[in-house]
Amino acid sequence: MTLPADKGQDAISWRGYRSDTFDELIDAKGHPRDAARALTDYLSRLTPADLADRRQAAELAIKALGVTFTVYSDSDGRNVDRAFPFDIIPRTIARREWDRTEAGLKQRVTALNQFIADIYGPRHIIRDRVFPEELLAESVNFRPQCMGVRPAGDVWAHICGSDLVRDADGTIYVLEDNLRVPSGVSYMLENRMVIKRVFPEIFETSTILPVDDYPAQLYDTLAALSPRPADQPVIGLLTPGMFNSAYFEHCYLALQMGIELVEGGDLFVADDDCCYMRTIHGPQRVDVLYRRIDDLFMDPEAFHPDSLLGVPGLMRAWRAGNLALANAPGAGVADDKVVYAFVPEMIRYYLDQDPILPNVPSWLCMRSADRDHVLANLDKLVVKPANESGGYGMLIGPRASKAEREAFADRIRANPRNYMAQPTLSISTAPTLTDDGIEPRHLDLRPFILSRENPYVTTGGLTRVAMNRGSLVVNSSQGGGAKDTWVVETDEEPR
Amino acid sequence: MLSRTAENIYWFGRYLQRAENTARLVNVQAYLSLDLPRRVPLSWGSLVDILGAGELFAGRYDSPGEAEVAHFIIADERFTGSLRSTLDAARENLRATRETLPSDIWEKLNELHAMVTARGQSVAYRRVRTDLLREVIEGCLTIMGMLVNNMSRGTGFQFLRLGMALEQADMTTRIVDARSGGMVPDGETDELAPIRATQWMSVLKSLHAYQMYRRQQRTRVTGPRALAFLLHDPTFPRSVAFSLWSMQQTLPRLPEHPELRQALDAAVQLVAGADVRALLADDDDSALGRMLDDIQLALGRVHERVDACFFQRQTQQQALENAEATDA
Repeated sequence: MTLPADKGQDAISWRGYRSDTFDELIDAKGHPRDAARALTDYLSRLTPADLADRRQAAELAIKALGVTFTVYSDSDGRNVDRAFPFDIIPRTIARREWDRTEAGLKQRVTALNQFIADIYGPRHIIRDRVFPEELLAESVNFRPQCMGVRPAGDVWAHICGSDLVRDADGTIYVLEDNLRVPSGVSYMLENRMVIKRVFPEIFETSTILPVDDYPAQLYDTLAALSPRPADQPVIGLLTPGMFNSAYFEHCYLALQMGIELVEGGDLFVADDDCCYMRTIHGPQRVDVLYRRIDDLFMDPEAFHPDSLLGVPGLMRAWRAGNLALANAPGAGVADDKVVYAFVPEMIRYYLDQDPILPNVPSWLCMRSADRDHVLANLDKLVVKPANESGGYGMLIGPRASKAEREAFADRIRANPRNYMAQPTLSISTAPTLTDDGIEPRHLDLRPFILSRENPYVTTGGLTRVAMNRGSLVVNSSQGGGAKDTWVVETDEEPR
Repeated sequence: MLSRTAENIYWFGRYLQRAENTARLVNVQAYLSLDLPRRVPLSWGSLVDILGAGELFAGRYDSPGEAEVAHFIIADERFTGSLRSTLDAARENLRATRETLPSDIWEKLNELHAMVTARGQSVAYRRVRTDLLREVIEGCLTIMGMLVNNMSRGTGFQFLRLGMALEQADMTTRIVDARSGGMVPDGETDELAPIRATQWMSVLKSLHAYQMYRRQQRTRVTGPRALAFLLHDPTFPRSVAFSLWSMQQTLPRLPEHPELRQALDAAVQLVAGADVRALLADDDDSALGRMLDDIQLALGRVHERVDACFFQRQTQQQALENAEATDA
């Protein structure tokens, strides 16, 4: 539907709104889904002029809250804090559906942690021929330095961000798991603060589950890792520094949790294999580091000798059990996109359960039958390299030219282990306020899972939306924005 | 508090204070040039000397004229003491510690920085320059006002105060040093007496001290009185004695370091012992210069102690080893 700017008093109607796939708020007949009804009723009472006002209020709130991600420009030496594109129409999820998704995520991350512990330990899964050993040899995220280490509770990936998408038939799939340094949770928290300022009335009349517990939960997760459990633990967030695109999030989380925001130069590891931070009161021992820096740059002594971001000896302190690292180095071995294809098997193998949340069907180019299928159907598939993130280096078959597909086929033949392919999903949409009125836009969902004795899942997560019409790319580095995500308690059972 | 955070705040304070003093210094020079008789040539080169940049300047410019010196001090990127470089440095320090200082300061400093960058090339024009410098001074004072009113008096504030006071003491001695000697030839003729008074008035004005001097002294400006005011006055915030006192006030709120206290006490005693009449009566006018050099060296030692006690990694590792040695 469109909002004619010259008829500012027209109320919003949903009759003309149609998505060509599953829509999160409006069903195929044009009726709001149960979880969305309170929201759509509320929006229907607003005029386009009201909506424009609310949108402006949101932009002001974002500026006032300082929600940005930083882009540093070398040309004139100034850094640009770009505001995060934000859509004011929330995405709703029914509580009942969310409960099932949450259980699926806990199940999945539990299996992933057992897999990582097994890989760096006894390797039962390889001996039992469920997981092929040769995949490990070529994994860029496998760290031989971690062999034999046993972190507290055998948990390696304490913080996981899994990306979920919904296909046209309504099925929710896990698209990928981010087990290294997943980001975006600060936007989830800030989006809710913005929406509370913009639509305060609706929170009075409907039951929208809160999200702001996350920093406290994260703090508890980190504190529980302290190697000196008797004392008040000293916890730091290790950031690569102010030029990192996620620096805003690093500052935000450190402030919210009341922990120190530290850079490599603030820390040193002494001869006693303990990690210390340099304070004006002298060295202070650090118990837990929430590291937001890739493990290869964490410790020049163990990995890249020329890394300036890291702290020499950090691995030594970790291996000696004097310092807890979250996530543990080497946890990324399980977020390889080829290893991903084995997660359903891992769930069956370690937990003896059927996966609650399915994987997107995947073809591994290392298997010759799969490879032949992929090469024959490149125009229908999405092909991804094993170890890239942020949507880089992939081929979207239906949108690529013949020449692009042929060039990509050569790359697959040259290094089959590095590629996997999936069908092009028709991922779901939600109503989004654009310059042309309210239109469907594609989106995904990144919940964050904290692994510990009782795992914790954020209520909903970060909804990322492709702001351009028809686009499927939701990454913030490529023009994606965000929506607030509402898990809504509904009175009636879903039909 | 992390050493890096403390160090960034300390240097932010120093650069902010330095920018304000530098802007004031150039502005007053322009007014002085209007007041002096034509036959007494005004040396713009003395400004470069105040900032200790004679050699760099000589290598970059043909003559120490008004336009050249103004450009050098205000806009020259390659001179680390220029207004532009100083604001740059303040900005880099603030950027690294944005979460600890009130956030509107970041916006205000960015504004100032952008203005000096944009208009700095036109400072040969006196009119442009006067406006620009006034805006810099006002901008710096606005930021100081935000800090004083909006920042909690925690550890971070102590480092800010330490940096600002140390820089002011240093700038005050530099300005007195360069402005008091050489500019107007010494002589007993009554004809030159008013000019010498004008010279000392410019010293006071460079430090925004003229009005406060008049209220306190209630007499015409003379060399010894002006010098005493700038070195010893216990109530004027830009005097050396006041700046040192201000630094002493921070010590009880910071971790105890006897060697820092000693360095600061030594500077206080040195300043208190300076006999202004003897310094100015000396036929050889280098006596004042030597005293000011000594004060600057004492301030340098205070800075070294601050740096070693709170910021340095080597000292931290040393401290740890010492602690272990005592434990054993």
